[in-house]
Amino acid sequence: MGTENPGRPSFPMRPSSTPFASAPPTVRPFSSSGPLAGSESSNFRPTSPGAPPTMTPFSAAGPSPPARFSDPSVPSPPIKPVPPFGMPYHQFPTHPFPSAAQIPPNRAPPVGQPPFQPPATQVSVPPPSFRQQTQVPLVPMGSPPQNANFPLPSMNVPQPPSDSSLSGPRPNFQPPFPGYPNKQPAVSQAPPPFPAQQGSFMPPPAPPSPFPSQQGSYGPPPRQSLTEDFSSLSVASVPGSIDPAFDHRTLPRPLDGDEVPSSFLEMYPMNCDPRYLRLTTSAIPNSQSLLSRWHLPLGAVVCPLAEAPEGEEVPVINFTSTGIIRCRRCRTYVNPYVTFTDAGRKWRCNICSLLNDVPGEYFANLDATGRRIDLDQRPELIKGSVEFVAPTEYMVRPPMPPLYFFLIDVSISAVRSGMIEVVAQTIRSCLDELPGFPRTQIGFITYDSTIHFYNMKANLDDIFVPLPDDLLVNLSESRNVVETFLDSLPSMFQDNVNVESAFGPALKAAFMVMSQLGGKLLIFQNSLPSLGVGRLKLRGDDLRVYGTDKEHILRLPEDPFYKQMAADLTKYQIGINIYAFSDKYTDIASLGTLAKYTGGQVYYYPSFQSGIHGEKLRHELARDLTRETAWEAVMRIRCGKGIRFTTYHGNFMLRSTDLLALPAVDCDKAYAMQLSLEETLLTTQTVYFQVALLYTASCGERRIRVHTAAAPVVTDLGEMYRQADTGAIVSLFCRLAIERTLTSKLEDARNSLQLRIVKALREYRNLYAVQHRLGTRMIYPESLKFLCLYGLALSKSVPLKGGYADAQLDERCAAGFTMMALPVKKLLKLLYPSLIRIDEYLLKPSAEADDDFKNIMKRLPLVAECLDSRGLYIYDDGFRFVIWFGRMLSPDIAKNLLGSDFAAELSRVILTEQDNEMSRRLMKI
Amino acid sequence: MVDIFIWLISFFILIALVVLLIYQLTCLADLEFDYINPYDSSSRINKVVLPEFFLQGFLCLFYLLTGHWVMSLLCTPYLYYNVTLYTSKQHLVDVTEIFNLLQREKNQRYYKLAYLVVLLFLSLFWIIFSSLEYEDD
Repeated sequence: MGTENPGRPSFPMRPSSTPFASAPPTVRPFSSSGPLAGSESSNFRPTSPGAPPTMTPFSAAGPSPPARFSDPSVPSPPIKPVPPFGMPYHQFPTHPFPSAAQIPPNRAPPVGQPPFQPPATQVSVPPPSFRQQTQVPLVPMGSPPQNANFPLPSMNVPQPPSDSSLSGPRPNFQPPFPGYPNKQPAVSQAPPPFPAQQGSFMPPPAPPSPFPSQQGSYGPPPRQSLTEDFSSLSVASVPGSIDPAFDHRTLPRPLDGDEVPSSFLEMYPMNCDPRYLRLTTSAIPNSQSLLSRWHLPLGAVVCPLAEAPEGEEVPVINFTSTGIIRCRRCRTYVNPYVTFTDAGRKWRCNICSLLNDVPGEYFANLDATGRRIDLDQRPELIKGSVEFVAPTEYMVRPPMPPLYFFLIDVSISAVRSGMIEVVAQTIRSCLDELPGFPRTQIGFITYDSTIHFYNMKANLDDIFVPLPDDLLVNLSESRNVVETFLDSLPSMFQDNVNVESAFGPALKAAFMVMSQLGGKLLIFQNSLPSLGVGRLKLRGDDLRVYGTDKEHILRLPEDPFYKQMAADLTKYQIGINIYAFSDKYTDIASLGTLAKYTGGQVYYYPSFQSGIHGEKLRHELARDLTRETAWEAVMRIRCGKGIRFTTYHGNFMLRSTDLLALPAVDCDKAYAMQLSLEETLLTTQTVYFQVALLYTASCGERRIRVHTAAAPVVTDLGEMYRQADTGAIVSLFCRLAIERTLTSKLEDARNSLQLRIVKALREYRNLYAVQHRLGTRMIYPESLKFLCLYGLALSKSVPLKGGYADAQLDERCAAGFTMMALPVKKLLKLLYPSLIRIDEYLLKPSAEADDDFKNIMKRLPLVAECLDSRGLYIYDDGFRFVIWFGRMLSPDIAKNLLGSDFAAELSRVILTEQDNEMSRRLMKI
Repeated sequence: MVDIFIWLISFFILIALVVLLIYQLTCLADLEFDYINPYDSSSRINKVVLPEFFLQGFLCLFYLLTGHWVMSLLCTPYLYYNVTLYTSKQHLVDVTEIFNLLQREKNQRYYKLAYLVVLLFLSLFWIIFSSLEYEDD
């Protein structure tokens, strides 16, 4: 394939026709594939956190006085089926969830038995005194008469159970704890809380909650430990009511965003910050058998270049004289956990416990406690995250300059959608901010059915055969040419009527230009590659494939060219970011492979229109171009003896069993890995992890960023659960599930996700339920309180949700590629976006509003009840804002925000800054 | 006399197949112990995969044409497996996923190797058998 185009005029030119003129003009039937996603909001349905479906099995209950709801904790009886809950399920006719059998596992611990068997009364936390009784009713849920007849004194909950009523049943159950009869009063003294337990999720921060106190009065377990042990959630239905007595308000919701477990950091203050490294549980099991009872993944999520807040930047250390201090055997970098012995002449590696010599220049005496006296001048010995300047041993070639290469589709659809214009403008405006001035290199290729090369050297006097060197130029030297080119690019192709796309050959051309240096290749693709090598077919039209075993093949690259190309690109340190814009099928599954194995990212704008999506593209492209990027990087994570990282998940390519090749990595990329135990029994008290990222900074310095963390080894399963980190678990689950969709059906991926969560919670329950006789409640550790919610949100996320009709194939794949790379915080935000009501804020006078700004920024739970039709809401999942205009929103606001023609179709409105106070304030948000 | 030559030829073909498989296995093992990079490893393996398939197919056909249909029948499962691999485009190792698939690729080749060794012994037996027969005549 000719990638050079001889005889092409140099700079400002219309490209001449190229060898591809001879390529067979395959006419592609661009029939629209499936429904086109219209407005943005339709792409992502709010995941209503799933409370509702759990209840379906109970809705068959018989008559029951709604008076039951007079319970103080339930101010507004949610008696009617709440409309919003119905809504998502109408939209999923083929949704695999509606079956009651599948949903409960998310909330109810044991599978295979009626999830919430039970007391079926309002006292969902039966005081222990009723223990016998609560365990009796193993009645199938749908039989209200039995429930109604059920002789529970606690049926009249509003009336505090008196001492006498309790003493009745007591003899029945006394045997377990015969020694505590006189503690009985504790139960009767706490009448008010009883009603409050109705459908109760106990807010964990309220330790003196009645529940533990009752427990404490009974059993030997000290009450304090119990409150710490777990939170619980009881889901009991009120017999007879149509609606479950399940107050969704009491469900735990991550309204404060991601909570990073802090106990870990307190225990090991010298660990790196959790934004760099998060373990799924900061208590490592000491044996295989313990690990097998922890059904959640054991592993880590690493975001080596996470953005540090002001003042917490990673210190850079230059070991010029001594060379970087590393363990002789395992190559661990010196870190805060190494110990110095032998009067400071030797140091013991914390990972392999080998005794190493301290080089003469690095020697320092030890004080009485065995610590080096120069500790405070050695950040590498007190901080968990440091950066070493790497000497020449760490280079195979001189550090490369930052290099940006643009491969832009200029076929007719690109021109029509206005993509070229937006891209050219954005690139131009970012030229000043590209990292690495003055070494930055830049180059462009455009293509439709032909490939157009641009000579960026500015000597028009000497027009001639462009050399490969001229295609890629130093930005600061050729600044004018680049600017002129970008200015003229949109007009250059405005009359282009070419519909073909020679993507593969253009990619090869770019590869040849860049292969000397490596760098970042940004591809703007607007249609299905139709010419030359790597041309793709229209797939996914055949509806019969969906739901069969062959379905996953659609989510895999079709042509081996893409995998091979991705491998070659990584080898030459080229990272690819794909920007796809088409309104038709573009086979993101194939194109995205390029980004996946080169450590890049996929941006997808279905049916791109510069008017609507321009702002989003502008923002994302600008961020892509200007964020701090590490070039030609490799990453390795080491860990102590006895454990081993086995599988890695994310966008990268493995260069050896444990070395991740990352041609271009930045702060928005995270990588997950799973751990396994190699030895049957870990004997050490602590295990250490060390992430090392060797990279070239934009300034041209070769550096090694090292993050070190320690975690205790435990023998107790409960401790593992308590130290769990939901964010990391969800992140790892997400990657596992998405990988699963590449080899099997969507449904299988979702089921395995659910199954693992259920198993984990059941295991936890087995740990405590027996001890505390919590017959009917679902219990979970405080650390995992959001796991169910995120699990459900995950199975409703774009890559996993529903069946064929619920998301376009391309969208699914693009979201999958995106989620494989997201750091924990961003992923959680995408799974559970924030919803903020802003109309009240906007209506306030300005001075007051500014003070108020913090107050209003509180997130609402994502349930439809929170949406008031008079309100104006902002829904933010980290990738876009959806502004929800209530139907009865005051016209003033709407007018101010949207201009006078707000009656126009709302989804197409561009939020421009209108000339008024209110609108300006909104934009500020 | 002809028989001996037939068995000798099949014996050498089998030896060649075993060598090809061992070569692939060493490439995989080298990769596992980080002696070579995945690019080299996979390109080396992929270079010999098709020759292996063709050679095996030829052997099967060879047995059939020379009238040793029992041996031919013994070769067919292997041939069938190769054909299914080829038709589902899984016969080449995937350089991007090679580490995740390493164990599977190795196991697959170990089984093939064991299979071939059995065939090798059989053909050895036939060589000896037919040469003895020849001498008896």
